[in-house]
Amino acid sequence: MKQSGASALLQGAVQDLASGVASALRGGGRTSREDLHATVRSTSDLDLAAARVLGADLLLPAVLDGTAPTGPEVDLARRAFDAYPPPVTAAPTVAWSHWALGHTLRRVGAPSGPVPEPGPEPDASWLTGAPWPSLTHHLAVLAPLALPGQDCAVARLARGRTLDVARGFVRAIRRRDWYQAAGAGRWLAVLPDVPHTLGLPSGLDFVELMGGGDARVLLQVRAARLIGSGVSV
Amino acid sequence: MTDTRLLHTVGVRALEWLWAHRDGFRLESGVDPEIGFLERFKPVGELAQICAVLFREGVAGSRQAELARGLLDHAWRETLDGGRMLVRGQRIEPLSPIPGEVYLPFRELGHRMPDLERYVLLNHRLASSTACETKPNRRLGLSAFQRRFGLTPRPQEHEVLPSTWLARTPEPWTVEGHIAYDVTHTVFHLTRWGEDPDGLPPRLADYLAAWLPVWLDDWRDLRRWDLLGELLVVDACLPRPTLDEAAWTAFAGAQQPDGAVPAVGDLPAVDDPQDLFDVVYHPTLVAAFASTLATSRSLSALARAS
Repeated sequence: MKQSGASALLQGAVQDLASGVASALRGGGRTSREDLHATVRSTSDLDLAAARVLGADLLLPAVLDGTAPTGPEVDLARRAFDAYPPPVTAAPTVAWSHWALGHTLRRVGAPSGPVPEPGPEPDASWLTGAPWPSLTHHLAVLAPLALPGQDCAVARLARGRTLDVARGFVRAIRRRDWYQAAGAGRWLAVLPDVPHTLGLPSGLDFVELMGGGDARVLLQVRAARLIGSGVSV
Repeated sequence: MTDTRLLHTVGVRALEWLWAHRDGFRLESGVDPEIGFLERFKPVGELAQICAVLFREGVAGSRQAELARGLLDHAWRETLDGGRMLVRGQRIEPLSPIPGEVYLPFRELGHRMPDLERYVLLNHRLASSTACETKPNRRLGLSAFQRRFGLTPRPQEHEVLPSTWLARTPEPWTVEGHIAYDVTHTVFHLTRWGEDPDGLPPRLADYLAAWLPVWLDDWRDLRRWDLLGELLVVDACLPRPTLDEAAWTAFAGAQQPDGAVPAVGDLPAVDDPQDLFDVVYHPTLVAAFASTLATSRSLSALARAS
């Protein structure tokens, strides 16, 4: 089925933005944010929606290299946070994604202007006891929460289910769901006691090789590698 | 954990189908030697092995036990003509291990064919038998066969095991269908067809406990019933079997009302009964095998809990 024009445009904008973040994460040492600056300067509604889709990962380069984000990065993230407050009926992953964006804005600080209030953590009880395939699916959507030292209910829950996430990583690769595999791989980079037999580093290489044409996949793979290499946050 | 009744019923129905279609286990005496007279020995050997497991586990009801005994008698007396066809096959291919392998479960149940045993003993002495280039899990099976026959395995199983795929515990996301079958057969040989779960080294048991759930999930969704059945056998061979409910429910759902289990997807529309037998007998045998072991493990768990 052919995508609607608006949907295709949004996906294109998400790809552009994700590509900018992925480029900034390239290298493995300190990040270079030149490519990101080019993409965050856009100001259309489409870019705002794309920024909300990407969520907290818009600020990931700043988070991972421990430097303050630039004004345009914060401005876009801030406006995306304000423009899309989750309705009361929002899916839990939407509520968590919005919270993560607000939490990250507060964490990195803003060069100027007030910092938004992310509000209390959303409920995470819906993830408790989730079978490993659906657990991995939801965690992959919430990959922006996979950061070293991140302390929130979702991260705490994930820390107790490393083997389940590892199984989900295998499942996603076998089903060629590269986005889910990359997100699960990023979680595994922050989780304890990942089974050696999983072959996570090679698995991330495989996901990049097979699915890296999707900038969102590339972003998560590069984030996983940077986190796995021990960047301090 | 799956309901024991479901586990058991799959095996009962599979055995009913095998009994009703026992004439499908037949040899083709006029076949071109180039095609291979021994080709049709494989189903007979598998039938005997799995009926032997059924006797061993002792979880069959009286009807099942009766059918298994009837199938073994039929295979030995009718199909193999009291063992004479094994010797005939061996004389066509003197160096083949297949007649001996088909013979072994019958021998363990008390049948004897001394002429065939002379071939087995001679082949065991030949350097060629050991030098023959085979896949590691197949070589493991040949060594296990020699041990069961009372011979000194050449090479020893512990010498073969490290070169199998499973023993190297590779990345679990690389498993394809043919690799999965290599894994299942390695487990069958190490555990003596489920008789000795301790035959699986703890390191390999841990590896399978970690990743088998993913493979079960995958091949269940792909409706690869033959492979799923073999993986359910592997599960039942583990120190702590999961008796995965989703996999067992799907597997039971794929079984036809008459007990036949399709190899993949739905039962194919095949008019010729022998052609249908050829595509269905193996997954149906596997269903009987998996059911027997899983029922046994489930009952053991219930006994421990009570």
